[in-house]
Amino acid sequence: MSAASQFLLDAGVKSADITHREIIRKGVENYWAGHMKGRQRIRDWEAARQRCQETKQEAVSNLHRYLLQFEAGVHSRGGHVFWAANSAEACEYIRALAVSRGVKTVVKSKSMVTEEIQLAPVLEREGIAVWETDLGEYIVQLRHEPPYHIVTPAMHLNRDQIAELFKKKIEPALATNDPVELVAVARRALRKAFFSAEMGISGANFIVADAGAIAISTNEGNGRLCTSVPRIHVCVTGIEKVIPRLADLAVLWPVLATSGTGQPITTYSTLISGPRQPGEADGPEEFHVVLVDNGRSELLANEEQREVLHCIRCGACLNVCPVFRHIGGHSYGTIYPGPIGSVLTPHLRGPEFDHLAYASSLCGACTSVCPVKINLHRHLLHNRRDSVEDWNVGTGVSPAQPARGVEARRPRGKFSERLGFKLWRFAMLHPGVYGFGARMGKRSLRLLYALGLRGSLLDPMRNWNRRRAPVPLPGKSFRAMWRKGLR
Amino acid sequence: MRVAGAEEQKMNADNPSREVILGRIRDALGAAPAPAPAPCAYSSIFDPIANPLERFQQECAANLMECLLSSDEASSTQHLATALSSLPAGEIFAQDDPILRRLLTSAAVAQQMRWSSEGAPAESSQATISRCEALIAQTGSIFVTAACGGRGASIVAPVHIVYATASQLVPDLETALTNATRNQTLSRGSFACVISGSSRTADIEKILVEGAHGPRRLVVIVQL
Repeated sequence: MSAASQFLLDAGVKSADITHREIIRKGVENYWAGHMKGRQRIRDWEAARQRCQETKQEAVSNLHRYLLQFEAGVHSRGGHVFWAANSAEACEYIRALAVSRGVKTVVKSKSMVTEEIQLAPVLEREGIAVWETDLGEYIVQLRHEPPYHIVTPAMHLNRDQIAELFKKKIEPALATNDPVELVAVARRALRKAFFSAEMGISGANFIVADAGAIAISTNEGNGRLCTSVPRIHVCVTGIEKVIPRLADLAVLWPVLATSGTGQPITTYSTLISGPRQPGEADGPEEFHVVLVDNGRSELLANEEQREVLHCIRCGACLNVCPVFRHIGGHSYGTIYPGPIGSVLTPHLRGPEFDHLAYASSLCGACTSVCPVKINLHRHLLHNRRDSVEDWNVGTGVSPAQPARGVEARRPRGKFSERLGFKLWRFAMLHPGVYGFGARMGKRSLRLLYALGLRGSLLDPMRNWNRRRAPVPLPGKSFRAMWRKGLR
Repeated sequence: MRVAGAEEQKMNADNPSREVILGRIRDALGAAPAPAPAPCAYSSIFDPIANPLERFQQECAANLMECLLSSDEASSTQHLATALSSLPAGEIFAQDDPILRRLLTSAAVAQQMRWSSEGAPAESSQATISRCEALIAQTGSIFVTAACGGRGASIVAPVHIVYATASQLVPDLETALTNATRNQTLSRGSFACVISGSSRTADIEKILVEGAHGPRRLVVIVQL
């Protein structure tokens, strides 16, 4: 089954799942209340967004300069920087490192890039135990699921489902669904892993060029333990995470926290610039940063959509998206769900995911909350255009260079779609034909519904009617009302 | 054509994709970009802080931290002794610092002590005691670095006690980070962290639970 058909199928099932919708509704309501309260703490939210946008724009327009500055800083303190063109190179570097250092156990803090490159299975094939240590990530790992949301990976589960899971997988004697007790269960299980692991793997929320440091934001402290206790620390991150200056975090940290969870700042806003230095009490002996490209430099070449690289992965656009709220994070079939995922995935994984540009009502809620002011719904339109336009036959009127290989492009509008639009055009230019068609359509629908076939396979309005209350057919058409003096 | 130095040539030989990625980025960006616009003032984004100490105390309360004010070393010692007396038996880890050594000696701590000069805190530590680089009023945060007893000092034990002086209080994040840049904090050490409360999670139904993997209790003694 194609990714597009799978998407329609999963989205259909999920949007009719009432329990799921209830859980998401509650989660999103809590988020929104917290987020709006958080915004009140900032004197001028729009100025803060503007500043973050400018910071990221400056960083991305000087990407190579800032990455080299970061690299030099890390090198000067004995750290390593590896540049990976794609997932395979990144995974191979980390696999070889783990094997050569005799690593048996890895503790991971939350990192969407490690999901993107599918790192865990590569290490597990070497017999290495990989522990996700963020509570939400740990829960979805136990369920053998991908993260549901980029900030709250287990947002789709309620406490009963989590208690059931922990009882089955960790503590058979567990007899409560109290969140405090559930957190304690996870803490006990993960504590052993933290102190036996030889390697900690983290992501990075930012790469700070002038300080030569990575910045990690975590609330639980799991990211702190992953980067303090094991003897090797590997940070896996995308090349676009760079920011010019340490002081830029004075705005970025509060804005990221406000957009992500509504907090004024994340509990642990950590900066790491190397392995343990002489005279320091502890810390890893080795520090490796893996900079992942994986399609990002191609997106950079696309001037029209370059700003998508400004994303700081706060998850705000997911929370406010009416489509996400109905179909959930897993239906997208991508690592990054929601509006940002729908924009990004075709660039990272190819035209197989072009259909996601249509997983939007274009309401613009995503754009209105984005803390770095990415024009998300506009980019969904760009992706729609790119997915149907034929770059080979064009006469130079295409507004921008395509991001992906020009040669690979063929006209991909479906035949039925093209025929449909031709007929529509004809009818719109011939009012008599249009009127006749509308009358016939209404009559046949009336007959169909009188026979009790509403919502059946014969009903052309089936997608709407099979799960919703019927919309009554109007008595008079708009054209008739217009003629009778509506004008 | 750029001429690579000997060190850079070696880096590229070990990691061929390095030059490929850098080349793609240079091609994508083309000529030198337009200069960045002048950023708007920090004070127009965040309200200026009139009374840093008052703000710090408010934010500590919001962050579920305990902020204890003390008038002199004797009173700080008293706070420290009280905080430690309620702990279960077990080792206590402290940053090896002359002032902390003095305070802990006068506090007559009953528990076994381990100092940061002896290495990382034990997994079973009951509490850690450290100083800090700065206190940040805006967010009720303590700014620690590797010099404050190492990385584990603020994360391994269920209780973290910080001893600070009011002179370490800065109004906002911008001041703290600008100072860190000027002092080359991250060149001189490998780690720094802005800590704003006890360890917590809201991953289950967005309900806040304290004491996820780090300290459940964060106590700050501010000596005026």
